[in-house]
Amino acid sequence: MPFAEFSPAEVGSSAGGFRWASAGQGVLRITVWGYWHEDVVRAFAAEAPAALGKLAPSGTLVLDASALKPQGADAQEALRLLFRGLVPHASVKAMVIARNALTRMQLARLLRECGVDQRVEFGDNTSTTEGV
Amino acid sequence: MGSTEEQAAKAIYKFYDALEDLLRSRGTGGMKEIWHHGDYVTTAHPFGDWARGWTEVAANWEEGAAVFATYKGHDARTDTIGGIHELKVAVMGDAAYGTGVYKSRLYMSDGPIDLRVNCTNIVHRIDGTWKLVHHHADQAPPDWQAAIGRMVQAGHS
Repeated sequence: MPFAEFSPAEVGSSAGGFRWASAGQGVLRITVWGYWHEDVVRAFAAEAPAALGKLAPSGTLVLDASALKPQGADAQEALRLLFRGLVPHASVKAMVIARNALTRMQLARLLRECGVDQRVEFGDNTSTTEGV
Repeated sequence: MGSTEEQAAKAIYKFYDALEDLLRSRGTGGMKEIWHHGDYVTTAHPFGDWARGWTEVAANWEEGAAVFATYKGHDARTDTIGGIHELKVAVMGDAAYGTGVYKSRLYMSDGPIDLRVNCTNIVHRIDGTWKLVHHHADQAPPDWQAAIGRMVQAGHS
């Protein structure tokens, strides 16, 4: 089990936060929502590299940002940490779910800036990844 | 100085001047100046959901500027990208609202795309100065949103 040692965790509040969870063999699902304040940003920046490190070489990362609002500069940098973390994992597949068009554009821009945009598939429906 | 209606309308026109600056990569200084930086301000755009409170509202405008940093269709043009039309303002004490139609034209590599959306803006007179506290524009048609999305993903217009 690639995530045998991985404990699902939730950080933040209904106003903004994130949750890591394994959604099946080789799948790391990160659900992010709302607008992130400082404490959430700090926690995400600290946990993102470690979480990616637990992903199997041929695993799949699903970023469910369907309830995420466009973020400020600090949160964007924390998300860049996650996206840059994909660079050495060339075989990892990644999918981003975003419904808010401006959020989707922000994530697309961050992915492009991190040089991993070509490896990430976008979707706008959470159910499309439920089986992933 | 003009009537109270004219002063409130001037604040709304200033907002659209700030929007033009943002769309043309001239910065978000005008936008920060015209908005009240309070917890009760709200905004929704042709391609976004509600932002509530100045922190979220500011993040929306900053991202709008980042989105349009990739737009080059007006680099060699002198016409404006867009503007508010048919603006009607009603004043009630220290608050006023304006309704109008925002029309814009963007020149993309595969041809121009037009937008026409109804808008409502609310301004609040704070310490004698009219500040924007609410902006709402209709959602843009899916084709328009898709064209902007393609521009962002490609990194150019």
